[in-house]
Amino acid sequence: MVEEIPETRDSLLIRVADARDQVAWELFARLYRPVVYNVARMRGLQDADAQDVAQQVLIAVSRALPSWQRLNGATRFRHWLCRIARNATINALTRQPRDRAAGGESDLPDAIFREADTDLDSQLEREYRRQLFRRAAEVVRSRTDESTWQAFAMTMIDGIPIAEAAKRLQRSEAVVYAARSRIMRRLRDVVKELEEESDESSS
Amino acid sequence: MKAHPETCDPTCVDAYLAESLGAREELEFLQHLERCSVCRDRIQKSAAEPSTWSEAEEFLRDRPFDSEFHRSVTQTAMESDRFEDGGDHEAAGDHEEDLHRTVVSAEIAQVLALLSPTDNPQMMGRLGGYEVSGVVGSGGMGVVLKAFDGPLDRTVAIKVLAPRLASSGAARRRFAREAKAAATVLHPNVIVIHGVSNDGPLPFLVMPYLRGESLQRRLNRLGPLSAEEVVRIAQQVASGLAAAHRQGLVHRDIKPANILLEDGVERVTLTDFGLARAVDDASMTRSGIIAGTPQYMSPEQARGDTVDARSDIFSLGSVMYAMCTGRPPFRAETSYGILRRITDTEPRPVRDVNPNIPDWLEYFIQRLLTKSLDDRIQNADHVAVLLQKCLSHLQQPSIAELPEECRTPIRRRVWWRSPRGRVRAAALAAFSCIAIAAIYAVSQINFIEHTSQLAGESSDKLGTNIHQSATPDGWDATQTEIDTFEADLTASEVDVRKLWQIQSDTKPP
Repeated sequence: MVEEIPETRDSLLIRVADARDQVAWELFARLYRPVVYNVARMRGLQDADAQDVAQQVLIAVSRALPSWQRLNGATRFRHWLCRIARNATINALTRQPRDRAAGGESDLPDAIFREADTDLDSQLEREYRRQLFRRAAEVVRSRTDESTWQAFAMTMIDGIPIAEAAKRLQRSEAVVYAARSRIMRRLRDVVKELEEESDESSS
Repeated sequence: MKAHPETCDPTCVDAYLAESLGAREELEFLQHLERCSVCRDRIQKSAAEPSTWSEAEEFLRDRPFDSEFHRSVTQTAMESDRFEDGGDHEAAGDHEEDLHRTVVSAEIAQVLALLSPTDNPQMMGRLGGYEVSGVVGSGGMGVVLKAFDGPLDRTVAIKVLAPRLASSGAARRRFAREAKAAATVLHPNVIVIHGVSNDGPLPFLVMPYLRGESLQRRLNRLGPLSAEEVVRIAQQVASGLAAAHRQGLVHRDIKPANILLEDGVERVTLTDFGLARAVDDASMTRSGIIAGTPQYMSPEQARGDTVDARSDIFSLGSVMYAMCTGRPPFRAETSYGILRRITDTEPRPVRDVNPNIPDWLEYFIQRLLTKSLDDRIQNADHVAVLLQKCLSHLQQPSIAELPEECRTPIRRRVWWRSPRGRVRAAALAAFSCIAIAAIYAVSQINFIEHTSQLAGESSDKLGTNIHQSATPDGWDATQTEIDTFEADLTASEVDVRKLWQIQSDTKPP
């Protein structure tokens, strides 16, 4: 749904000359939407409002894209994107309370959003990292057989003790250890690759 | 790398994580792991740093709104799953598949919704004068429909520009222009364009409906092809390209999915000419959608530089590589990773992956996959001519010789990079060392024989004085003797050189 709003498509059509930058932008946009959404939710916005904020931020960033230019390699594309996105997020979040739906946690005073802005950078960075991991997990999962993945997911995500997970999977504990370590290694490598993807885009 | 169940072997832990153990070794390692808690600890430690483990634990666990966000996205994906994806595209990785499918299916639905109603209950709708009977597939730029051309009584394929691209005027104009240019290329290996329409809500072009499969499907189905098939297909692609290049048309999207194989591999048809450019213009791009695969791009394309016919030649090299090995030369988990590989790295040698490929073919592909534009084979015509000769050679090795230009030059082959080569290189290096040492030893003996006569006298003198120098008083005397000896030696060197001179002068050439 949020991925499929036809009328926003055109406003997100952009022109980035470098294919690497284009791909970096695509990855960034895909990762950053949930980043903004999550930060907005953590600050008390409801689902629909948080979706709106995320959409506003992406549109704002995509509008700024034509102004991106390489400045003797000093500015990295992702860093530039992050800065633009951060400003857009602050704008969207501080403007948000007036537009927000009534009821629920929505009647917090504006001041909360402004005061908390000093934390915004670290919060955005942290959420960005969370999305890197989640995206990497999707990649790894799509390339792993289900039982290997389950050994990892049960013990790491669902918090099931290894002995219990081994029993449920009808495998030995050693196999669970081995499987989840192997997944962890792949995950680490894909996270690294995704990081490089967005960090080195203007090398 | 053998893991005895009783003893620990840390290299096994790394090999297991890197997935480089054989099936039996892996089993042995797991057996060892059953008994050894040290190695269980070790494998977790070497899989990732503790901080990464805890990050994974924290970040992958859902908070309430994580699942809420996720739900709204996956719902869309599931709703559109019922559409059959034609498989005409390949995303950079499987993980992009789902998202891609979502968009693609929505696109097919959009296209079908825009068809005019038809009287024929067998048909899905009308487009222009054509009765649409089904969806063939969809690719980066649009949807391919199967349709019936009533007046001419033939089945056609209609390629419809994706609605997301059709909303841009520039993309529509370019689509029409490129399609018209492609229509002027008349060549047995380039698909015929029956017609182009740019007036209605959906720009489209009409092509013959070909039975057969794309090279991509063939590779998925059967894996690597034989050298003869590789050369035969590549030769036809090259001559199709040559025809287009003569019209000033660059394909820009040569990849296995755009190469159709009719009746086995006997005839090859190249599709989607010049259309990549129309897509480039418009698809820059909303979040998450990568229009097609970058796997077969040239380095100049990957960098976003201007592109000429030689870019197609690089892509043809990548396609040949894929035919030989069953996989594209530049691979990574992500699109960006692929682009970086294309611009920065050399692919693994073809024969490392498939030793059945002759070395001259590996060399040929290398010459197409050269990053520097000027070092590549410069035109498709030349590629086609060379491949034709190579094909004759493969078919009748005793009659048709390999063209001179295709023979692997010894100097340029990087054979020592292959695993087999490395052993040979090491052996050769060891052998050379021994040989050089031997030659050196022999020459020393000769030298000593020649010089000893000349220098014999002075070295005798030096010998006696060195004995005397055991006492400090003797030092000065020894030093003088050494100086004299050096002077004598220089003199004898001059003599030796003269001797050499005389020898080489008198020797017959």
